[in-house]
Parts: sequence; structure tokens; C-alpha cells
Amino acid sequence: MEQILKLWTESGLAQVDAGTVVMMAVGLTLLFLAIRKGFEPLLLVPIGFGTILVNIPGAGFEAAPIYDAMGHMESPGGLMYYIYNVGIASGMFPLIIFMGVGAMTDFGPLLANPKTLLLGAAAQVGIFVTVMGAVGLSSLGILDFSIRDAASIGIIGGADGPTAIFVASKLSPDLLGAVAVAAYSYMALVPIIQPPIMRALTSEAERKIEMVQLRPVSIREKIVFPMLLLGLVAMLLPSAAPLLGMFCFGNLMRECGVVDRLSDTTQNALINIVTIFLGLAVGSKMSADKFLNWETLGILALGALAFCIGTAAGVLMAKLMNRFSDTPINPLIGSAGVSAVPMAARVSNKVGLEANPQNFLLMHAMGPNVAGVIGSAVAAGVMISMVSGF
Amino acid sequence: MLKRCVLSDLKGKFMEVDLFQQGVDLMLFGMGTVFTFLILLVGALTLMSWVITRFFPDPVQPEVAVQMAPVSAVEPRIQAVIQAAIDKHRGK
Repeated sequence: MEQILKLWTESGLAQVDAGTVVMMAVGLTLLFLAIRKGFEPLLLVPIGFGTILVNIPGAGFEAAPIYDAMGHMESPGGLMYYIYNVGIASGMFPLIIFMGVGAMTDFGPLLANPKTLLLGAAAQVGIFVTVMGAVGLSSLGILDFSIRDAASIGIIGGADGPTAIFVASKLSPDLLGAVAVAAYSYMALVPIIQPPIMRALTSEAERKIEMVQLRPVSIREKIVFPMLLLGLVAMLLPSAAPLLGMFCFGNLMRECGVVDRLSDTTQNALINIVTIFLGLAVGSKMSADKFLNWETLGILALGALAFCIGTAAGVLMAKLMNRFSDTPINPLIGSAGVSAVPMAARVSNKVGLEANPQNFLLMHAMGPNVAGVIGSAVAAGVMISMVSGF
Repeated sequence: MLKRCVLSDLKGKFMEVDLFQQGVDLMLFGMGTVFTFLILLVGALTLMSWVITRFFPDPVQPEVAVQMAPVSAVEPRIQAVIQAAIDKHRGK
């Protein structure tokens, strides 16, 4: 009888509480969005499943190891504890993913038209306006965000998953789950969020603008580029060096042409393995006490705002550049400055084709698109170095 | 007691203003840095591309003699078989 009682008290049914049930429902919702709706399935399937696992009462996925007074291990702790601390608390997983992204990125369109870097800079306005939004909500006493939290929320507007996770894990690990879910969900929603803003801010004639063919870029330029970027980062902004350094390393492996095997592993096998663990580790931060509060709703709302403002700023900057440039610039490519590679560039292309079926903007939009990755990594570096003292 | 209340209230207000000020600082410095960095990068890239295309162009590929004769898509052996079949047909 005693044993049956013990088994009952250890069962999930006996230990379950409302919070864990709701969090499991959140996990199932993420799985539904990923599987049925195709929202960033590569990330949301592991995150959703991780959410369910970590909320199983009594399974101890997130438990820390326990040592007795003599330093002997009493219990080794749970799987998620190790995955999170090895991969995310250390910053390792987002950086490895960034290396893979570097190995997948072709900087040709950017090198052919370096001006488009400015569009990548303009779209980061969304990040900083959102920081102000979070600070404002906090000042008005509506929600409670510190300046570190505000920075982590703002970076959602960078539309770059690994960057958002990197910043949030450094500045406010408690918000990591909500920030990562918001970042990846909104990236999946880019084709829905962006087009209305793009159409509202441009005229039919502007959307029809055809751009001149990009010049071919030599191999040597492509090889020198990552070294040049790394040099600038090292000299001016070392706090962005972890992100951009790994990015440049990946890109050099791609372009130098002598380590195709490494490049291949980086952009396929390695990034896949790390994505699995990254997703699970983000899921492990989705516990009821950290996720079920008004702040999460605030984060989701502010994140959407960040995307919208970033998109608008990019389009407006492109309109400005079109006015002063000697070659025509279609304002639609500005929205691609929010990173979200390559989705945002495809959206620019699609909206352009609606206005003019002969107008292919995809390659032109790839320039601002990869510039957005650099821009958000720079913004992340600035925020980490400015805020981490508080 | 009252004084302490007022003081803590003031301190609360001060903290809020402080947070807001931090936000403004972060926005201005952040946007400033992002724009400065990327503008410098535009300059560096333009210079780098100019130097490379001017002084270190990719070695020009020797023009491969363009084969004007239409390349037959049919293997010679198959072609021979077809020819033989046609000949046989015509020779009937």
C-alpha cells in the first residue's frame, strides 16, 4: 500500500498544477504552428517539444546537479540543465549557428552595391524604438522591465534568431523563452507583416522602378570581404566580435574554396545538430513562472512593433536614397534590411512583381538583407557593451 | 515618517527618469554606432573593390575557342546505329 501511495505521489497526475498544464498547451500550440502552419518548423518543433518536456512535473529535466558538503555528487541533474548551460549560457550555440549562417551567405549582391548597407542600418531603428517602448511602459508603471530587459526585447526587431538568443542570454536569461519565441514567430510572419507597410509607404510608380543589373563580383573581393569586416569590428566594436567574428569565419570558409568540406559541414550537419539543441534549450526556459505573466504579452506586442518600425524605416531610407542616388533604387528593397534572410528579400521581390511582372528585385534585395544581419549584430554588440554594466 | 515616504517616492521617480534616460542614451548611441559602423564599411568596401578590380583583377580566362559546330547530343555509337538503320531502311 505504501508503495502504491509513493508511486501515486510521484506520478504526473498528482503533481500537476495549472501553470504546467498551460505551458504544455503553449508547447502544443508551438508544435501546431510549426507542423500545420509551417512557422519556422526547424526551430519551433524543438522549442515546442522542449517546452513540453521541461514542464513534465517531477521529471527534473531542468534540475541542477546536487552536491553534498564533501563535494560528492548526489544527483547529476537533468538533460536540459546541461544543454542550456553548455550551449546558451556560454553563448556557444548562437555563435555556432552564426558561423553556419556566415557559411551560407553570399555577399556578392552586397559587394556589388555597398550602398545597400545603409538600408541594413536604417532597419535597425526598429530595435532602438522598441527599447524606448519597453522603457516607456516600465516608466509608466504598466510593466516592469529593466534596461537590460528592454535591450533584449528590442533585439527581436533585429529579426535574427541567433542574435536575439545571444543578447537575451547575456542580458536577461529569464526572458529568453519569450524573446526567442517572439523572434522566430515574427520571422515566420514576415510575409504577412511586411507587405501592407511596404504598400502604404510607397507609390505605384515607385514600386515599378527597375534597378540596373548588378556588376559581377570577383572571387578576390569575396575572400577579402570577411577579413575586412573582421578588421573593422576588431578595431571599432570588439563587443560585436563574437557574433561577427564567427560569421566572418564561416563566410571565409565558404569563399576561400580550399576547405569545402569544412564549409559543407558548417552549413549543413553542424548547424542542424546545434539547431536541435538550441531549440530544446530555449524550450527549457519556457516554464510557467517565467512565461505566464503580463511581461510576456508585452514582449510579444513590442516585438511586433519592432518588426513594423524596422520595415518602415528601411523603406523610408530606400526612398531617401532613391532621391539622391544616380542609379534608381526601388524602395521595396528597403524592407529587406530587417535581416530575416532570405524571407524578407523574397517578400520585396514578390511585392515588386505585383506592381511590375518584369521586375525581379530578389538579388537587389539580398544586399540589404545580409546588411541587416551585420546591422543587427552591430546593434547587439552596442547594447551588450552599454547595458551589461547595469 | 512622512518625510521618508516622500523621499522614497522621489527616489522612485528618480529611478524612472533614470531608466528613461538610459533608454534614450541607448537609442542615440546605438543608432549612432550602427550608422557610423556601416557607413565606414560602405567606404571600406568601395575602396577595397576599387583596389582589387584596379590592381588585382581575376586572371582573365583564356578565351576558349568557341566551338561553332553544333554539338551533337547523340553519342557517336548510337548515331552509327541510327545511320545503319536508316541505310537499311532506304536500301530495302
